Order: sequence, then structure tokens, then C-alpha cells
Amino acid sequence: MILTPKILARIVATCLIGVLLQLSFFSQIELFHVSPDILPALVVCLGLLGGSLTGAVSGFAIGFFVDCLLVEALGITSLVLLGVGYLAGLFRERFEIHSTVLPALLCMGFTLLAELGFGLIQILLGLDAPLSVLIVRDLLLKSVYAFFLGWPLYLLIRRVLRPALVEESTVRRRRAPTVLGA
Amino acid sequence: MYRKQVRRRRAVLALLVVGSFVLLTLTYQGSHDLQSGVSTIFSPVQSVADRALKPARDLVDWFDKTFDARGENSRLKSELAKTRRQAVAGQVALQENAQLRKLLKLDRDSPLVYTNYKEVTSRVIARSPTVWRSSVTIDAGSGDGVRVDDAVISGDGLVGRIASVGPGSSQVMLLTDHASGVTAKVLPSGAQGVVKPEVGNPEELILDFLSSTKRVHGGQTVVTAGWRAQGFASHFPPGLPLGEVTNASIVEQEASEQVDVRPYADLRNLDLVQVLTGGSRE
Repeated sequence: MILTPKILARIVATCLIGVLLQLSFFSQIELFHVSPDILPALVVCLGLLGGSLTGAVSGFAIGFFVDCLLVEALGITSLVLLGVGYLAGLFRERFEIHSTVLPALLCMGFTLLAELGFGLIQILLGLDAPLSVLIVRDLLLKSVYAFFLGWPLYLLIRRVLRPALVEESTVRRRRAPTVLGA
Repeated sequence: MYRKQVRRRRAVLALLVVGSFVLLTLTYQGSHDLQSGVSTIFSPVQSVADRALKPARDLVDWFDKTFDARGENSRLKSELAKTRRQAVAGQVALQENAQLRKLLKLDRDSPLVYTNYKEVTSRVIARSPTVWRSSVTIDAGSGDGVRVDDAVISGDGLVGRIASVGPGSSQVMLLTDHASGVTAKVLPSGAQGVVKPEVGNPEELILDFLSSTKRVHGGQTVVTAGWRAQGFASHFPPGLPLGEVTNASIVEQEASEQVDVRPYADLRNLDLVQVLTGGSRE
């Protein structure tokens, strides 16, 4: 990814809008008693398009911003999301993404991983109440929602960051110029 | 060149991980200034976003509730019949109670539980996205008189308590948060215990540490106990409706001294809440 101040501004705007949408919309709706969580999917998309460094930094920033807005313990969400962003970016650097379904599948897998990671940290920090088996339903449905939301999210973020993407600019340069009147 | 890039990447990753742990340590040392500052700056934006997205949320809720409506209809009918019977019995008891209070000269103390409190109505502007935490942010803060540990109610009953306060917004720890615990009593038996959540299940709470001498039955009402002793007092005023006992098998009561409680307030769909501010806290 070619990082320019303009692209950086676009990434920051994407993160801010994503967090506000999550807290004001997705967290407050329920489908089959479970709220979707787009933040891990957002970080995965940024990691897949921008690489491991972009993924990790945006994951950290998104986590920090969420914890600040919810006045929660700082660091937990940042730690989880930076890990998710880094791994997604690493995947992009090692493998080529040809299928359009793959980003959505990765959003699904990484959302599950993020929720499990979050749970693990919470348990390590001390969980004062028993766990319900319904948590399994919650984790699985959140992952399924991430699959369906990750698909359009990936396409949308790719469109927003298109000028910075190396492959996209190569494709544009390779394309034959259109000759008017030919 | 490539190795240099890899080294730089790993260095940044290590820096971010260390940064996360530093933030975690700072928070557990009790510093919330940073969150309060950011929250104060963004709470107007959140308020606007919340209002703008309400129609879209309502649409999704309508679809979700339509699925549940059929099953809920029959349950509500049976609940209504039971509530009618209880209302009649309640009116008789109230009349009797008023007469007895008069006889015992107790009529100066109001039977209503939160008359000393000022109710601050506020809107839920954000909600925690993960199942591991159960908290919401409301658009009322210290400027409105809200203080830490104030009780938060909805039209149906207790919702939680204020966990932290900023100038224009506050964080509410819901009853379903793993750190929540409310001293409660069952009516009419008077059995007391602590209402705790089960992480991942927003529809059920557990009434734990029940006294084994008093039996609790399904359908009985659970309210806040609001105890006060030797200068200490519960965060919650007494008598706030909490929920209804759903599963109270004798085996479970004897073995684990706990019963299941369904909260009256719909903790998953909160829009407007009231904070009970003021009141005595000695």
C-alpha cells in the first residue's frame, strides 16, 4: 500500500465511521438475539488491503477508540484487534487473494478468533460470574454475521483505498488507453 | 531491504503490544481521565449518530421481534391473567397496609422507595459490542447530577448502576455484566440473596446465596433489598423491581442455594433510561 497523507486521512475516517456505526447501530440491534460486531471484520479488511503494519496499527487505534468511548479498561480491545489486523495482513503478504469469498471467510474466522481472544483476556483478568453455554451461540452467530457483513465491507474499503493499492494502480496502468472516435 | 522491512514491522508490532499492556496497567491503577476526555469530545457526535440511526435500528428490531412475537403472545396472555389476580390481591394488601401503618404511627415514612431521589432521564448512545462486557453509554453525566453508583432504571425495572461518569456522558454497568451483583429479596417470602449474571445469557440472572430456610417458587417477584447497616448501604434503593423467578426447583435450591430470575427490563433493547440521583448514601 502506498501511504500518502490523503490515504491516511481516508483510513482514519474509515476507522472513525466504523466505530461510530458499531456503537450506535450494530451493537444496538439484534438478529436472533445476537448483535453483529463489524470491528474485527473492519480491521481484517484493512489488514488484507494494507498489509500487516496497517492492520496492526488500525486495529490498535480502533480498539483504543472503542475503549475510550465506552469508558472501559484501555488496552484489551486494542490488544485483540491489533493481533487480528496483524495476522490478516500477514495472510495477505503470504498468499494471493483471488476468490471474492475468501475475504468474507477470513472476516468470519478472525471475528471468531477475536471474540475468543477477548474472552481469554477477560478470563485471565478475572471473570466474576459463571459462563453460560449460550455464549457459544453468540460467538458462532457473530462470526456468521461477520461473513455476510465482511463481503460488502471489503469491497467498500477497497474502493475507498483504491488509489493506494499497488495491484489496482498496476492494473490501471496496464489497461490500454481509450481512443475516442476509433 | 526485505529484512529491514520485516525488522521494522516486528518492532512496530512489539511497540503496539507493549503500548496495550501499558494502557491496561494505567487503567487498573484507576486512571480514567483519558477515556473521559475522549468520551466528552465524541458524546455529541454519538448522540447525533444515535438519533440518525434510530429509524434503521427500529426497522431491524421490527424484523427481529416479528420472529419472536408468536411465542411471546401466549406467554404474555398467561402472564396477564396472573398479573390481574396479583393486582387485586395487591390492592387489598395496600389498603390493609395503610390501615396498619396508621395504627402503628408509621405513616410518616413513605412506602414508596425512591421518593427521595431525583430521576434524570437519558438516552442510550452506545453499547459494548462484545458479549464479554455488558455496558451502555448514556448521554447524561456529572453536569446533570449523575454520580458513580447511582441506580439506573427503565420503565420495567432495574437496569444497572453507573460505573463511571464524565461531564456529558456516563457508563452504565448492566445487570448482565460479569462484575454486577445486586442484593435482592423475593416477595412475598422475603428470602434474600444476591442477583448475579450468567455471562453470555442476557435473558436470565441467578439469585445466589439464598437462605435455605425460606422456599422460593416460580413466578414470585424479585426486588432490590436495599440494605443499610453500620454506616454502609446498598447502591440501590429498596423495592426496585428486578425480575421474576422462573426456575426454582427444590433440588437446586437445596444443592446450590440459587434460583433463576428473568429480568423485567429488556436489557438488550434499551433506548431511554432514568438515573436515580441524590438520595441518602451514609
